[in-house]
Amino acid sequence: MKNINFTCPFCSLLCDDIKLEVKNNNLKPLNFKCPILVNSLKRKINEQFSRINGKKTGISQAIEALSVLIKKSKSTLFAGMGTDIKGTKATLEIVDKYKCIIDHFSGDNYVKNIKSIQELGGFFLTLSELKNRADTIIIFQSSSDTVPRLFEKYIFPKETINNLKKRKVVFIGSKVPQFLYKNKKLINFEYIKLDSINLLNFISNIRNSINSEISEIKDKKLLNLLKLLKKTKYGSILWSISELQNNISDVIVNEITLLIQDLNKFTRFSGLSLEGSDHILTVNEVLLWQTGFPIRTSFASGFPVHDINQFSTKKLLDNKEIDLAIWINSFNEKKIIINKKIKNVLIGIPTHPQKKDADIFIPVGTPGLDHKSHLLRIDKVVSVPLKKIRNISLPSVDLVLNKVKERIFNDN
Amino acid sequence: MITKLQNARIYDPINRINGKIRDLYIKNNKIIDKPGRGEKISKVINLKNKIIMAGGIDIHSHIAGGKVNLARLLLPEEHRKYLYSSSDKLRSGSGLGTCSSFHIGYKYAKLGYTAVFEPATLPSNARSTIIEMSDIPFIDKGTYTVLSNDDFLLKLIQKKSNQKKINDYVAWILQSTKGLGIKIVNPGGINAFKFNQRELDLDEKNRKYDITPRSILKVLTKSLIDLKAPHPIHVHGCNLGVPGNVKTTVKQINAVEGQPMHLTHIQYHSYDNKGDRNFSSGANLLAEKINKNKNITCDVGQIMFGQTVTVSADTMSQYRNHHFAHPKKWICADIECEAGCGIVPFEYQDKNFVNSLQWAIGLELFLLIKDPWRIYLTTDHPNGAAFTAYPKLIKLLMDSSFRNREFEKINKHAQKNSVLGSLKREYSLYDIAILTRAGPAKVLGLNNTGHLGCGAKANIAVYNENEDKEEMFEKPYMVFKDGEIIVKNGKIQKVFNGKFYIAETEYDKNIEKEISSYFEKYIGRKMENFKIQNQELWDYGIETENIKCNRNDY
Repeated sequence: MKNINFTCPFCSLLCDDIKLEVKNNNLKPLNFKCPILVNSLKRKINEQFSRINGKKTGISQAIEALSVLIKKSKSTLFAGMGTDIKGTKATLEIVDKYKCIIDHFSGDNYVKNIKSIQELGGFFLTLSELKNRADTIIIFQSSSDTVPRLFEKYIFPKETINNLKKRKVVFIGSKVPQFLYKNKKLINFEYIKLDSINLLNFISNIRNSINSEISEIKDKKLLNLLKLLKKTKYGSILWSISELQNNISDVIVNEITLLIQDLNKFTRFSGLSLEGSDHILTVNEVLLWQTGFPIRTSFASGFPVHDINQFSTKKLLDNKEIDLAIWINSFNEKKIIINKKIKNVLIGIPTHPQKKDADIFIPVGTPGLDHKSHLLRIDKVVSVPLKKIRNISLPSVDLVLNKVKERIFNDN
Repeated sequence: MITKLQNARIYDPINRINGKIRDLYIKNNKIIDKPGRGEKISKVINLKNKIIMAGGIDIHSHIAGGKVNLARLLLPEEHRKYLYSSSDKLRSGSGLGTCSSFHIGYKYAKLGYTAVFEPATLPSNARSTIIEMSDIPFIDKGTYTVLSNDDFLLKLIQKKSNQKKINDYVAWILQSTKGLGIKIVNPGGINAFKFNQRELDLDEKNRKYDITPRSILKVLTKSLIDLKAPHPIHVHGCNLGVPGNVKTTVKQINAVEGQPMHLTHIQYHSYDNKGDRNFSSGANLLAEKINKNKNITCDVGQIMFGQTVTVSADTMSQYRNHHFAHPKKWICADIECEAGCGIVPFEYQDKNFVNSLQWAIGLELFLLIKDPWRIYLTTDHPNGAAFTAYPKLIKLLMDSSFRNREFEKINKHAQKNSVLGSLKREYSLYDIAILTRAGPAKVLGLNNTGHLGCGAKANIAVYNENEDKEEMFEKPYMVFKDGEIIVKNGKIQKVFNGKFYIAETEYDKNIEKEISSYFEKYIGRKMENFKIQNQELWDYGIETENIKCNRNDY
């Protein structure tokens, strides 16, 4: 048994202040009870066989079968894409050569951020700026479900470079996160209860009030908020698309972007989207530098064609535009869509509940547990090195895909 | 294996060879004087009527990092205009100004360039920038790490820490981020913008730290000299793009009191504010100053007309310029208590007065600064234009009648306000070899590249002799990288990766106590995870080349 310092790969905060007890490959967090971390480490790996049609097989047979499927396929989608930098690089080599399409688990939500940036741009910040700089933080309908330690580490830190004493937090949305309620006596926070539609109107009203000299504002909450914004020296705005009403979330994101632009005319403000599940940011960054485009890009024409609507996993499956879906998830057991009319492959962790449902299942390890890795944090700026801390002979996604690549490239 | 390149005309300024016809011998990946007795020449390549130079070196080109990726994200329409199909040897890709990584390597190789330096790597972004650069084939690479706005350094200066402590911090940063150099960007200004200061001149105080850009410039300049770093401080000064900023640029030269300093993209820092439009050329003033101050080197950051995108760590200046965005969208970011970034797409138009004068100012600088060893050819890719514009820029420098014809096409008011039409100077091939190879190698402290002498890397560009210099430089006949033919008649022959240059320095380990506590308390991560380990780079197949900090000509 030994205690080690650990960097957690399970959410996009990538916390590196965790101490783990390691005993016969069993891992127990000692100093934090982050639910994502605790649940992720609870998984017991009882077997780690590859499978073809649900039946156990050796990994070389599964790799061979996968390479045959890729070669036969007329249109392949790489879906899920829960992987790290090297896993994405290995995927893209196959995607480029075999004219495939690439999307991600969090595509439906994240493309709304992408679309907003493509239309308007934005003004962003990184986590240590949030922690040290902001005297006002406005949170638009976000929980900490996907980034459990965000509040504790970055919104209510013990010490800041600028010795911020009076940080004001305003939560605007329909449901206040537990953390804020639990600590409401300790922190200076205000709650404006609004659902998504009213939230959209509210942001538009803030913008109108900033941009034009409206003499009389009746809404007291709006009036107070405007006073606060004018007093703010450096403010941050946080939002989570997945928690906004789906059919208007893209409009809300655009309004937030415009609001931040407006505020910067007289004070300093910047924003951070809290969307980053299953390391979509890591995958997206590699895609951008290698191809010039973000997720939802097809290589069917021999060059990258990007379309956030056309290349959504759901649409491609519903319209039967693909005949092979290769799902990758090296972090968790998130459900995948099995469409029996096409071939389905899962390259996933050994405990994945759908491993017997896929035509081929290849077990892989988790970055930062079973192999060294690099992932990007939620702000896309900081990349974090992760170590191998467990020894149960699970290959990485890139190792598996490089074998597949060798197999299919050698045949040509 | 020995290859003989025979009958070519050689331009190799470091070895003072000016257009002589000579043979050149390559053994493995290096140039040798001649084969030893009994050594067999396995290949002879006849290069009659060809011109040979060392592979080009781009001292300042934004080829990777978070800001470049943000620009890619911002501009899908630009990427859709330039699509590249995959082939047996090559990957697919897209874009021009923010071209995707593999094609940056292909394009540079096709232009005869074999080394390129990413000039604005924020410390916290260094790791992923270097990993991204491992997907740029062929070229040797390196980065300059951005300091001068990070809260840690500004606090050290505020507390009047001694120079040795600052040097330890600078060396620690260089080592931890695997940089070749240190870049100043708008010293103190990016930080001041976080406190809502919108401008910061050389002697104005940052409100939070009560220190001036001058004080930051002075300690960092001295630091690199004390460390005997390969490359002197690389400076993007105050007030980028502001009419009248040439006065500040001149003051910056005075501020370093004769110590070596590299001023980058000086075109953007050479504006006067005379005339009825309060915008005029300051090129003459700055060129005279640089001519007199032998401690100063510079690159130009020439603009060329057309659509591009500007990417910079200078959030203060980029925010100021966002009104000019074309198309109308832009990104800024405040980053990790270190600096920031700003991305503003831009279209330089030859009918626009300011853009035309910017174009003329860049060329005036090239022609008025006399010593080619102290001025280097850049477009500040992609800020002034994509690097693919270099052949045309070379033609503008070498062919005065072409230049005059182009000058006549620009905005008439700009023509009246520029002396460009009266400048007769034409660069020679020897001069161009200095501007694009020998000079950059020398100022970067790289001894084994930028020339064709014995022991140099066999990085070689072979051109067809051609009166039209744009055509000549656009499509080299052959390009060698580390002794292998990578391009022939514009076609890529073989793909492999170049080396990654790192400055190798030492520091007093005691500095880590303070940095470690700063990271834990404020940055919210561990210092040990900030430091990039060599093994991490090797894991991506990156071959490093360490340049010792032992420069003795400062």
